[in-house]
Amino acid sequence: MKRLFKSLFLVSACAILALGVVGCGEKKEEKKAEAPAAAPAPAGPKTIVFASDATYPPMQYMNEQKEIVGFEVDVIKAAAEKGGFKAEFKNVAWDGIFGGLENGKYDAISSSVSITDERKLKMDFSEPIMAIEQMLVVGTKEKATDLAGLKGKSIGAQIGTTSYFVVKDVKGFKAVKTYDEVGLAMEDLVKGSIQAVVADSPVAVEYTTKKYADKIKIAGVLKSDKVENIGIAVKKGNKEVLDLVNKGLAAIKADGTFDKIKEQHKMK
Amino acid sequence: MSETRIIDVGEGAAIPSKTDWGLFNAWTISIVFAISTIFYLIVFEPAPYKRIILYLSDGVIITFEVTIISIICACIIGLITGLGRVSKNKAINLLASTYVEIIRGIPLLVQLFYIYYALGRLLNVHDLTAAVIAMSVCYGAYMGEVFRAGITAIDKGQSEAARSLGFNTKQTMFLVILPQAWRTILPPVGNEFIALLKDTSLVSILAVSDLLRRGREFSSETFLYFETFTMVALVYLVITLLLSKGVSLMEARLSHYVRH
Repeated sequence: MKRLFKSLFLVSACAILALGVVGCGEKKEEKKAEAPAAAPAPAGPKTIVFASDATYPPMQYMNEQKEIVGFEVDVIKAAAEKGGFKAEFKNVAWDGIFGGLENGKYDAISSSVSITDERKLKMDFSEPIMAIEQMLVVGTKEKATDLAGLKGKSIGAQIGTTSYFVVKDVKGFKAVKTYDEVGLAMEDLVKGSIQAVVADSPVAVEYTTKKYADKIKIAGVLKSDKVENIGIAVKKGNKEVLDLVNKGLAAIKADGTFDKIKEQHKMK
Repeated sequence: MSETRIIDVGEGAAIPSKTDWGLFNAWTISIVFAISTIFYLIVFEPAPYKRIILYLSDGVIITFEVTIISIICACIIGLITGLGRVSKNKAINLLASTYVEIIRGIPLLVQLFYIYYALGRLLNVHDLTAAVIAMSVCYGAYMGEVFRAGITAIDKGQSEAARSLGFNTKQTMFLVILPQAWRTILPPVGNEFIALLKDTSLVSILAVSDLLRRGREFSSETFLYFETFTMVALVYLVITLLLSKGVSLMEARLSHYVRH
């Protein structure tokens, strides 16, 4: 019995030690987040690395030449010209894209990021690029035009997006499924595994008019009392990058380049 | 390593020797560490951790479900494949071998995508069903190899003796060979079980709401990456440790190896 207690004591002592390590780990994490705020001095035009989840047509996607292209990419490239910086794009999976920004893996996120109050606590945003809406996409035979009409059915959205946030707390669905990419959600809708997908308006329009035009349609817009804007996210306190991006965006909006790009991409 | 410490497990309960460390072994340390950390975090830091564990809870059940059903199906497929691999019938042998070669040559993640998204248009399967099918088919091939190795490891004299006693091939296999092979097979099969459990995290790619997906959903909304994935890792660790204990208990009962 004595031996049992002795070994129990040893084991719990170990556990407490391990807890100490976990605790320290957390503290270190906090410190790290504060430290590297100062960026290296720019030589010539500053290169800003934009992270982009290139699975989001028409905003940003990979073409067959393996380049990241799309509406938002063109906007940033034009803004770079006017704002005096070099834009570089990096394909990063959406889930975890914000973590990489915080860890300093890239300078900014250009991935149709909706500006929300929760995200503003963690990162800074540029001036809005444009407003979007959340749209409900359903199969062509579905009669429902809003969320209430889809009670008891399964609904999908991309993980960690505002599209998911608007449906996650709505009761009455059979399941709310989250997908890594919006394209996989659309594919599941076409297959019939789910009955509806919520997506950003440009993406919903793209999928319902091009890829799966004969199989899915837009059932309606999910009304919200707040305007949803997309913008460029930068690490909290990174004023240097934010100012450059804002300068470029303001310039292309002032001289009409932005509207031209919009027209080229047939955006509303 | 004195002779006196060798204990034949088959002969009765293990007697702890003086150098036995009792509870102070890798398994106990790991499980006490994992469970006490989880409790510590929930009790003293309930702000993120209790919320996280509540959010993860239904994911744990899904992970369990997929694991258990897949293990059962994979064992059945594995047994059939293993028997096919040692079969004297050329056609059956070829069929089983081809199955193993093809499945072993395709990554599980690709198989998951293939069954759910590529074949999905033809046979619209439920996400959980697709996950279980992919896991069972994949691990069935691995286990088939384990079963084959276990069966061929049995001395040829055993089947010759059984045959000369008048057993037919079926009786020889099921009454003589397999009961003996099972003891050799069990440890590697146990490893496969644990590998399968960990690989169920891949099914989250099919938007199955398993433990990992629940963790990702939570972290992508709250940005609490460190806290969420610490919890996810600990929960996986606890489940894996429990399963490995189960396997080693079963081994201790069935194994014919002498434990040192």
